[in-house]
Amino acid sequence: MAETGRLTGTAPRAPALSPVTLLRTAIILGVLAIWEFLSHSGWLYRDVVPSLLAIGHSLIDLLASRDYYFNLGVTAAEVGFALLVGGGAGVAVGIVLGSNRFLAKAFEPYLYYLGPTPKIIFFPIMIMYFGVGPESKVALGTLSCFFPVALSVAAGMRGIDKVLIRVGYSFRLNALQMVTKIYLPAMRHPIINGVRLGLGVALIGVLLAETKLSNKGIGFLIIQAYSIFDMPRMYAMLIVLFVLAIGANALVGRLGGLHTIKRT
Amino acid sequence: MSAHARRTTLRDTAPAVVGVGSLVAFFLVMEALVQSGAVNRFIVPPPSEIFMSFGRVIVEEHVFSRFLQTLVECLTAGIMLTVFGVAGGVLMNRFKLLQQACETWVAAMASAPIVLMYPLFLVIFGRSSWTIIMMAFVSALPPVILKTIEGISGTRKVLVNVGRSFNLSTYQQFWKILFPAALPTIFVGIRLGLIFALINVVGVEFLINYGGLGQLINDLAERYDLAGTYAAICFVILVSVLFFMALEKVERWLRPVD
Amino acid sequence: MTSSNAILTADHINVRFETAEGPVIAVDDVTFDVKQGEFLSVIGPSGCGKSTLFNVIGGLLNTHQGTVKVGAETINGPHPSIGMVFQEESTFPWRTVTDNVAFPLELTGMAKAHRIEKAKHFIGMVGLNGFENRYPGELSGGMRQRVSLARTLASEPKILLMDEPFAALDEQTRLLLGDKVLQIQQQLKQTTLLITHNITEAVQMSDRILVMTYRPGKVKRIVDIDLPRPRTSEIVGSEAFGRYVAQIWNDLREEASRGMRDEEKHVMDEAP
Repeated sequence: MAETGRLTGTAPRAPALSPVTLLRTAIILGVLAIWEFLSHSGWLYRDVVPSLLAIGHSLIDLLASRDYYFNLGVTAAEVGFALLVGGGAGVAVGIVLGSNRFLAKAFEPYLYYLGPTPKIIFFPIMIMYFGVGPESKVALGTLSCFFPVALSVAAGMRGIDKVLIRVGYSFRLNALQMVTKIYLPAMRHPIINGVRLGLGVALIGVLLAETKLSNKGIGFLIIQAYSIFDMPRMYAMLIVLFVLAIGANALVGRLGGLHTIKRT
Repeated sequence: MSAHARRTTLRDTAPAVVGVGSLVAFFLVMEALVQSGAVNRFIVPPPSEIFMSFGRVIVEEHVFSRFLQTLVECLTAGIMLTVFGVAGGVLMNRFKLLQQACETWVAAMASAPIVLMYPLFLVIFGRSSWTIIMMAFVSALPPVILKTIEGISGTRKVLVNVGRSFNLSTYQQFWKILFPAALPTIFVGIRLGLIFALINVVGVEFLINYGGLGQLINDLAERYDLAGTYAAICFVILVSVLFFMALEKVERWLRPVD
Repeated sequence: MTSSNAILTADHINVRFETAEGPVIAVDDVTFDVKQGEFLSVIGPSGCGKSTLFNVIGGLLNTHQGTVKVGAETINGPHPSIGMVFQEESTFPWRTVTDNVAFPLELTGMAKAHRIEKAKHFIGMVGLNGFENRYPGELSGGMRQRVSLARTLASEPKILLMDEPFAALDEQTRLLLGDKVLQIQQQLKQTTLLITHNITEAVQMSDRILVMTYRPGKVKRIVDIDLPRPRTSEIVGSEAFGRYVAQIWNDLREEASRGMRDEEKHVMDEAP
């Protein structure tokens, strides 16, 4: 049935003070107000809810300290390596499993069922093998992000329109050309989503490992703040961490051309 | 027809045989490597030793009661997830302004490392099961909310129109059409939430050294009981796999024939 | 234009949509009526506004000018006397066939046992006896459309309003279902308004056919189909039948080519 023309709103470009913005501002202000009230009320254990001013101070101290950026760099490097190795392996394994029915049936169930296990429990093994330095964190991050990337890529491979593969064959492309000219471009979206997911779990894996056993990195700083009960500092670090993590996730999405909310 | 069927079955089992066979082969190779000294037995104990410590670990470390503890924590978090997640999603769908304002925030939370707040929860709830449960609840909430919204607002337009053509009230429209139509997607969200919950429960147990199976692994590792640590990890993998499979079965059973 | 036994009247219906390219008139001053017990088809090319008309009469679209009356009552939203059958899959996948068909009865607060009994009656009417406890997912497309039809019939509407209900089915299934609908219509003396693009179907089933122009959709012609009932395959194969089809195709061909040229122009205009 042909559509008889697209329906668009006739309203002019919405002004900055739309109801949505108003509601968001109201919610944020409301939360901050309740927070500040709780902080001064004395109802909760001391400093569990520090005043916004204290958090603000810690935030500024944090962002001005060189030490913080050093640790940020350490964590970032660990995550970066983990993503490179784990993600790379994931893509490779995903392509193999996605293109070969037999291998997929034989081995993909392992990935599928091992995926949703908490990888942090493997940390003691990583420490034994790699020592207490950054390598063990990278190893854990690698293990964490390998699974979602491999599964996404395998599913992505199977989702490629078969006709495109036949086109590749009809032009007699070799294996490398098939991968670079047909498979990878056709799988942009599943790969990007897999990388986003991989980034998320690699970040969590590395950070949790750092909180467990480390003397460097953001995770280490967080647990250090906990041990000296410097709550404003902990909140400040969590805020910065969340902003960076959400930002990185959005950036990867943008780069991959996905401008919508990740819904799947 | 039956001869053909028999041939198909052989082809069907072949991959499974190869898969399982590879795993067995892997264990045998590891056994050989460790026993010969090629791989340090103080990092990787021989698989036979790990296998033999299963019995010891089960009995001495009370694996079953630990499993129950982890399970209870997980289910508690799971129930909270379902109630608040679905309710939250329904509310956001009902009040479109709320959805427009907050949905991106919830999506952003879904990609944030929420579990890193566990030291904070430790301060609030102490070294107890509640830290674990609340941590799992908060981490796993976003996907449930998002999937609920997706399910309800993704109801096929024609079904909404059927409701309108019968002049259903908003209340009837929601309970007789929107919600039932959304249930499959909502269950996907709950399943995702439950999986995240299990991962977070075991992870936090490990990290704060309290609780059930997660704590067991941490304990054994700190005691340098290598074979025991590996064995405990195997248990957790087993539990997680079974949990995942059970969820899939339930989802398939509840999902109406599509 | 209205006669004394008109059960549905559409009076100067005008529907305008605002699009990015400016206002588009989907339905332009359409007036007609439907008599008690008659089978009226509305036929036109894609883009003639017939689905829009369906939504207006069904009360799902309210941004129109002009009135639609059931008897003396002007409608204001979906009218209980009008039963709608949609083009797309519209069965509730989570309910059995019986529960689907009993849906309108449920709304009236009818007791369960009574509901099931009544639903069974309508399920039998569409030829789905034995499938009462199946789910739509287990049925074929044609069977599902029959369930949708039974559901609408169960609300015993004065006017049955259908929007190309067989469009998604293969030709043979469509012919068989068409026969079934005709059978039911004759049996119940059901006033029926069918939106379709299939000329043969329209001539076979209708007492009158309303031919619409391409957008803006106007009434081009109203054709009285003076063929005896029941419309057996002899009648379908007869010369008189063929003449009606040819006449209507003549009207439609012109409108359909206009539509095609318009679409091509659209694509050209949007080319980078």
